Amino acid sequence: MESPYVLGVGKTRFGPTSKSLQMLAQEAILAALGDAGLGPDDIDAMIVGNFLGGPNEGQLHLNSVIAGLFPGLNIPSWRTEAACASGGVAIHQAVLSLSRYGTVLVVGAERMSDVVGMELTRNIGMAGDAILDQAAGLNFPANYALVAQAHMERYGTTTRDLELVSLKNHANANLNPKAHFFLKKVSQADIDGGQIVASPLRLFDCCPVSDGAAALVLSSKPRGKRCIPILGSAVSSDAISLAQRPTRTSFPAARDAARRAYAQSGLAPADVSLAEVHDCFTIAEIVAVEDVGLAAPGHATDLIRAGETAIDGRIPVNASGGLKAGGHAIGATGVGQLYELVTQLRGEAGERQVPGARVGLAHNVGGVGGTCSVHLLGGL
Amino acid sequence: MAVWTCPECSRTYAYALEQCTWCRVPLVERDPPSATIVSLTEVSAPSVGHEDVPYWCALLRSEDGFRSIIKLDHAAVVGDTLQFGVKGAAELAVVGVLGTGTMGRSLSELLLGRGHRVVWCGRSAERLEAARVKLIDRLARVMDEEQIAAVQERLITDTGYASLSECDVVVEAVIEELEPKKAVLAQAETHMRSDAILATNTSGLSVDDLADALARPDNFGVLHFFNPATRMRLVETAIGSVTSDSTSEFLDVFARSLGKIPVRVAAKPAFVVNRALMPLINEAVRELEEGVAAAESIDEAVRLGLNHPMGPLALADLIGLDVVVDIMDNLAGRTGDDTYAPRPLLQSKVAEGHLGRKTGEGFYVYAPRPGV
Repeated sequence: MESPYVLGVGKTRFGPTSKSLQMLAQEAILAALGDAGLGPDDIDAMIVGNFLGGPNEGQLHLNSVIAGLFPGLNIPSWRTEAACASGGVAIHQAVLSLSRYGTVLVVGAERMSDVVGMELTRNIGMAGDAILDQAAGLNFPANYALVAQAHMERYGTTTRDLELVSLKNHANANLNPKAHFFLKKVSQADIDGGQIVASPLRLFDCCPVSDGAAALVLSSKPRGKRCIPILGSAVSSDAISLAQRPTRTSFPAARDAARRAYAQSGLAPADVSLAEVHDCFTIAEIVAVEDVGLAAPGHATDLIRAGETAIDGRIPVNASGGLKAGGHAIGATGVGQLYELVTQLRGEAGERQVPGARVGLAHNVGGVGGTCSVHLLGGL
Repeated sequence: MAVWTCPECSRTYAYALEQCTWCRVPLVERDPPSATIVSLTEVSAPSVGHEDVPYWCALLRSEDGFRSIIKLDHAAVVGDTLQFGVKGAAELAVVGVLGTGTMGRSLSELLLGRGHRVVWCGRSAERLEAARVKLIDRLARVMDEEQIAAVQERLITDTGYASLSECDVVVEAVIEELEPKKAVLAQAETHMRSDAILATNTSGLSVDDLADALARPDNFGVLHFFNPATRMRLVETAIGSVTSDSTSEFLDVFARSLGKIPVRVAAKPAFVVNRALMPLINEAVRELEEGVAAAESIDEAVRLGLNHPMGPLALADLIGLDVVVDIMDNLAGRTGDDTYAPRPLLQSKVAEGHLGRKTGEGFYVYAPRPGV
């Protein structure tokens, strides 16, 4: 099989909106098709990434809902759900499906603002094990708090390191008009004033939940000068409950997905010029940087303290603002990461452009590492 | 049965979308006035939200060929034509809201969120502005900056009543006391169009007593929303002895147009919900007085035993103990039945200024929210 190519990308603003899921999805789809120079009739198959349509909106079977945006068109489509990795897994499926379909549309879409407070925390918690974790009240802040506790104990990571991740990603989001917190300036004082969510994580260690959609057009053949090759695409998985794993300072599924993606591409971590990683909590960015091999275990904090993960640093991480400040429209998140990489690799990222971006890595996590996808894009 | 069509390619969309997927031009909303039943099924299997069976699901086809599904609560036959009429007067009416308390703000939020123009009246400029800021802050959790800007354009605030002249309907939600309510209603009415509807959100005052203040009591009725109005689906509707039939019908139509479920109740003290709730709260307070159980235990037992989401004492704290005492006093006074009167412990809490969550203490002590 030839290398898959991203022909076009589209993304809505992430953040609260009263636009319907259909409107959001259509906006991203039309942007991606327009970017690829294609029309709806050119799509051979469609994969829709979405997590909480069922519990949040009483709407499952989303591939068919999205098919309603193409009246009269009958094409193969399905929905992919892997919690917060729904988007990344949908892209992986699209890459695999290129052996059969010439041009595949990937759409990630999520509405989060209809449900609030405890109900939303419960719904997101459905990504955890119902018997082993949910029953004990181990919601996602609590899950990642246990990861942070372990990382601090084992490697001497500090709450200051977490704050540095938050400050960096908020500063990056201020350069990204599609970011949830594009217009929100976050200062040290804001961070200091954030209440404890699950110790040691405080408010500004947590990403927001966002409404939003993102779309990609993939093809097994290049088209135009702006298409970007996908060099590696991998998914791996693990037991869903943190308690069932040998380590809490790393996600073995992320390490395995990264290993597979590097092997496919023939690339090594040293070849990566920028990364979009799944920083649903600040600690998750630190773990991610280590899991994808950009730092040795326990040493992501060296990069962060030295400013090397900033946009003008040696290995920029989450130039988009990440989930932390760019927003987390769950099913759209993994697709949005590839939107960012493609935009960066084309040199079209404006104020947040990473200089000399050649190879980009995307790391998308479901749950607390139960599912992970890693994608490598670009070329040396 | 609304549909959206593309003016260029004529494709039809069942969803409110901004543009055609093919032509990328804005869609035109169509609202066919009538449609014919082309297929019909009688449904005998109940489901959540559709408990009453049988009902009928009809596949409709408009003259232009648009199809949609509608639920009927009566038998029909294939070939019947249903008239939808023009969009109801309730759709996107300009609505006045009187009062800047919790309910006034919640109502304004509901109305603005659903696309209405709102005239929001409050006596104090500072309180009105503070409530407006809080409302915008709340809407910003579900809207982007562009949508918030559009909302601001649809919202007029007024420390007088003159702006009510552009309203189709006005909902009063000021303090739950007869004389202040009468004064506000009377003043509002003088500025309203003669055909506009005036409704009160009273939770139990006499409709006829309130209507005494009005020149057009036939245009007046009760729309009793529940807090928060943005999420609670019930609206108790009630009418006075001179409310007109068209006003009476409008109350239910308007409530439905807001996505609510109206339940028509007689204009008896406290209507249905508070009449059932107040004795429950009062009895829970009496249990506390008698040492039947601690507050936490009473609430836990009621939650688990009656499958209520919240115990009666915690709920009283949320409503505000002063409000609870007012409703109970009103119930006791209007019915002449002292069993409705607030228990001594409730009265002493209010006398001490422990009014529930809003003062930080009621039956429970509430810690201030961290980081706020």
